Order: sequence, then C-alpha cells, then structure tokens
Amino acid sequence: MTLIHMNILMAFSMSLMGLLMYRSHLMSALLCLEGMMLSLFVLAALTILSSHFTLANMMPIILLVFAACEAAIGLALLVMVSNTYGTDYVQNLNLLQC
Amino acid sequence: MNLFTSFTLLTLLILTTPIMMSHTDSHVNNKYQSYVKNIVFCAFITSLVPAMMYLHTNQETLISNWHWITIQTLKLTLSFKMDYFSLMFMPVALFITWSIMEFSMWYMHSDPYINQFFKYLLLFLITMLILVTANNLFQLFIGWEGVGIMSFLLIGWWFGRTDANTAALQAILYNRIGDIGLLASMAWFLSNMNTWDLQQIFMLNQNPLNLPLMGLVLAAAGKSAQFGLHPWLPSAMEGPTPVSALLHSSTMVVAGIFLLVRFHPLMENNKLIQTVTLCLGAITTLFTAICALTQNDIKKIIAFSTSSQLGLMMVTIGLNQPYLAFLHICTHAFFKAMLFLCSGSIIHNLNNEQDIRKMGGLFKALPFTTTALIIGCLALTGMPFLTGFYSKDPIIEAATSSYTNAWALLLTLIATSLTAVYSTRIIFFTLLGQPRFPPSTTINENNPLLINPIKRLLIGSIFAGFILSNSIPPMTTPLMTMPLHLKLTALAMTTLGFIIAFEINLDTQNLKHKHPSNSSKFSTLLGYFPTIMHRLPPHLDLLMSQKLATSLLDLTWLETILPKTTALIQLKASTLTSNQQGLIKLYFLSFLITITLTMILFNYPE
Repeated sequence: MTLIHMNILMAFSMSLMGLLMYRSHLMSALLCLEGMMLSLFVLAALTILSSHFTLANMMPIILLVFAACEAAIGLALLVMVSNTYGTDYVQNLNLLQC
Repeated sequence: MNLFTSFTLLTLLILTTPIMMSHTDSHVNNKYQSYVKNIVFCAFITSLVPAMMYLHTNQETLISNWHWITIQTLKLTLSFKMDYFSLMFMPVALFITWSIMEFSMWYMHSDPYINQFFKYLLLFLITMLILVTANNLFQLFIGWEGVGIMSFLLIGWWFGRTDANTAALQAILYNRIGDIGLLASMAWFLSNMNTWDLQQIFMLNQNPLNLPLMGLVLAAAGKSAQFGLHPWLPSAMEGPTPVSALLHSSTMVVAGIFLLVRFHPLMENNKLIQTVTLCLGAITTLFTAICALTQNDIKKIIAFSTSSQLGLMMVTIGLNQPYLAFLHICTHAFFKAMLFLCSGSIIHNLNNEQDIRKMGGLFKALPFTTTALIIGCLALTGMPFLTGFYSKDPIIEAATSSYTNAWALLLTLIATSLTAVYSTRIIFFTLLGQPRFPPSTTINENNPLLINPIKRLLIGSIFAGFILSNSIPPMTTPLMTMPLHLKLTALAMTTLGFIIAFEINLDTQNLKHKHPSNSSKFSTLLGYFPTIMHRLPPHLDLLMSQKLATSLLDLTWLETILPKTTALIQLKASTLTSNQQGLIKLYFLSFLITITLTMILFNYPE
C-alpha cells in the first residue's frame, strides 16, 4: 500500500494503543477514541477520493455524525463518574468486584 | 285433661310478660321488682295445675305447635314435652325462683340497676324452662345456650371487678367445651337417625350408640362441672348471692344432669357409658369434697358442696337410676338455695364479709338464719326424714346393693362422710364460738323480704322430700331385703364425718399449727388443677398452632421452598461464576496484546 495509507494507519494504531494502555485518567481514553475516529475519517476520505468511489462519498460524513454522538455519551459517562468520585481515576471503577 | 296443655303454655307465656313490658317505661320504676316477683308466683301457681293432673292420671303430653322449617327431610317444630321430668321440675324451679327474687329485693336493694338484674333473672328462668320442656334437640340447644349466656351476664354483674370478668369468661369457656359434645351428638343424630326429635331417637334404638352418648356425657360434664371441667363453678361465686343461689346451685348446673336423665332410654343398655358416668361422678364428688374442706370463703364451700352433689347425681345415672337422680335434683334445689340465701344474709349483715375465719358467734345474733343454716346443712348430709334423706339415702342404698364398680362406691361413701365434715366446718366457724368480726356493724335480720323466702325454703327443706316421694309414681321396684349394715351405711358414714369434724374443729381452738401439711395445700389450691391447667395447655396449644400454621405452612411451604430458594441459588451461582474484578486497565491491555498477536499471526502465516 502507499506511504500515505501507511502513515494514517500508523496514526490509527498509535491512538488504539493509547486507548488500551492509559495510566489513570479516563479522559485520556476518550481523547484517544477521538483520535481513532479522526484517523479513520481521513483514511476513508483519502481512499474514496483517490479511487473516485462516488457511491461511498457519504460514508465519512455519516461516520463523523456517529462519532460525535459517541463522544457525547462518553463525556456524559465521564461527568457521572466525576460527579460520584470527584476525579476520573479508573481505580474508582471497581464496583463490580466480588 | 282439658286444661293440661293450655296451662302449661300459659305458664311459659306469663313469664315473658315482663320482658315485653320493656316497650313501656314500667321497667324503669321501682314497682318492677314486685311485679316480676308476683309474675313468677302466678306462673308457679299455674304450673302446679298440670303437675297435679299428671300425678293424678300419669298421662304424659306432647305439645307440637308450630312447624318452623323443613330442611330436606328434617322437620323442625316448636314442640314441648310434658312428661314426668319437666312437669315436676317446673313447679320446683318456679318456687325457688320466686323465693330468690323476693330475697334479691332485699339483697340488691341498693343497686342502681336492680330492674335490669330482675330482667336477667327472668330471662334465665325462661331459657331454663325452654331447656327443660324441649322435645327436640334444637329447642334444647336454644335453652342450653341461653342459660350459658345469662350465666355469663349474671356472673359478671359487677363488671368493674377484674375477678368477676375472668370468672364469667372462664364459665363461658368451660361450657363451650361441653357444647362441643352436644353439637357432636346432634350431628350424629341428624346424620344417622335423620331427626332431632326425642321420640324418634328413642324409637329407633340403634345399637352402637357410644359416640353420641359420649358427646352427651361431655356436654353434661361441661355444664354440670364434673371433674376436668369443674373450675368454673367455684369461680362463678364472683356473682351476687341470688345468682349463685339460682344458677349455680339449683337450676343451671343441673341442666347437664337433666340432659342425661332425658336420654335414659338410650343409656340403659349401654354398659360403657354407665361405667364412664359412674367413675366420672365418683371422682368429681370425692375431689370437690376434698377441695371444700379447707376453703375459707363461705360461698366457695357451698359451691364445692354443689359440685359434690352433682357428682353424686352423676353416680346415680351411672347406676341406671335416672328417676333417683331427678329426685335428688329436685330436693337438692331446696336446701342448696336456702344455704345460699342464709350465706347471703350473713354476708350482708357482716358488711360484706365472706371469710369464715372472720365470722363467729352468730348463733345469738342471727337466730333465724342460724336455724335455717343448721337445718340446711343437716338436710344436705342426709339427716333422716329431712328432705335430703328421701333422695340421698336411696341413692346410697342403690349403690351399695347393685352390681357395680367397688372403687366408685368407695369414693362415693368417703365423699358422703366428707359432706358431713365440711358442713360441720361451716356451722362451727360461722355460728359457734365468740365473734371474730368488728363489732361496729349493725346486725339486723328483721326484714320480711329476707325472712319470708328463707321461711318458705325452710318448710320446703323439711317437708318437700316427704311430699315428693309420696306423690310420684314408682318407677323401679324398691329393694325389699337388705342386710342391716348396708342399710345403715349412709347414716354411719355421715355420723362418722360429724364426730371427726367436730373433734378436729375443737382442736383448732387449742393447738397452733406450724406449717400447712402437703395434703392441706392440695386441698386449698383446689388440687393444683387450675394452677396447672389454666396456663400450660393453652400456652402449649397456641405455641404448637403458631409453629404449624405460620412457621411451617406460610413461611416454609409457601415462601421458602420455591421462590426464595430460586433467588438464593441464582445469587450464589452468579457470585461463584463471575470473575468481574473491575480491573479495566488489565482488560484493555490483554485486548491490545490479543489484537496484535492476531494481526501478526494472520499476516505472516509461515
């Protein structure tokens, strides 16, 4: 594949690793989630424009809409956690522990 | 014969007149008491006519008035049976009630609700007569329950006193246990003989009659205070003295014995029931006579004496002598009512003092009451040719000369001598010696309302036995040959009792006893029967029913077995099998490593 695709894929995997390996703040996971979404958007837009795949011209826009909803839900959950505990440290989320 | 049925019904109708006068306001003024007393006197005179006609012609009558209802094959009518028993009992009961009503005009003089008292007494009398003249078991049951309810209302007359309420409730409970027996018998008669009429029951004389007769014996034990169901009778002395005189000595407590006497054709062939009644009566008469020996309340002594005589009547029924038992009912009513009236006179004159340890020396102060008390006690013990002799002596003779249980006979004889003992005790403590009451009470027995009833009952106590025995038709062949020692048994036991009692009573003036002996404690505490049986069995019964009904049925079988067990299993399983620990970073890390490994493996398969 081309160098540009490799570049964006590396940005995606960087964000993925950041999502799965964060230290203590839940906010960093949400930020990496946004990063993943951004890189996906750019990848999709480049691929579709360069291959003149007109039928799929809507896909990046729809992806953007859903990503915005998901970001809103994620922020709401973060706000709820922060309301209960005061901070958003992940070590607080151990209520399922038996 | 023309006036037989009409005078009988007229007697019953006359008695209901004061009750119906409640519509007017004549029941709130103070003429009501004399009115009720005169009504009872008129009813007594009216009832003498059918009684005399029966004695003349020996013809029984059955009045069947009004067909009430037919339930499939059971026909219920309003029917009155005028036979030997009801026709002889009615004049006796009315005479005694007339005397007691005149007495209670003196005794309850200061009671503000005296008119209501008279109405209750009259209602009791009406229901008792319904019981006595009933021809079918339904009407008898109406009278039975009626006397029970009036007994409750009259025992609890002074309802501000806790002991009176407890005693009234105790009477109701013990009578209820007896009612179970009566209802069981009624149900058996209904389902096996298809009737509640006495004629049909006696005609269809079926053979295995043990179950209904045991039910009737239980009913008699409940109503007539036999052993096991006896504690309500001494407790019923919480009521006023006229109530004790009418209900709990002459009239109501003999209803059980009367029931068994009514059913005597069924009992003459059943040896088991005769043995049961014999032994039950013997135990009752001895036990209550023992309890009467150390009581200190004069009314309780007379109450136990009543209970002992009821046991004697039960023994007579067990000897297959129902007519003797009935004669004893009639004669016992006279002197027992008089004993209660004398005790009422003593109590009122000593300013409501009922403890015999605080009485004494009334021999000179209350001469007429003293006379009546002594004659009553002598009649009770069976002094020859007073009233009690004509019924008690034939009973003892029949007992000693019949093929019967020797142990029951021995108990009855011991109880006869104990009768003399406690009678001596009453006479000694209340009448003889020096006064032990405070001297500031005014003792006056000169009221005609007090003297006349006691005078009438006194004449009855002396002569009624003679008159009744010579008027009634003979029902059994009397035993003509008897050894001398059997003939003199009753007299010998009584004399022995008198001598021993007088000696012991004289001893109490000299010796000082240190501690009560064990047998004295047994007697004073009524044989420990109320102590054991009033708390422990009800507590155990209620505990068992709570364990069975609530703990076993509701909580276990309905709740715990399926619903709660299912929930518990789910909870335990979920806690066992789930491994959520809340370690988010670990999960994300393992996810990352898995993804990386998958991508490597699927991209570089070689």
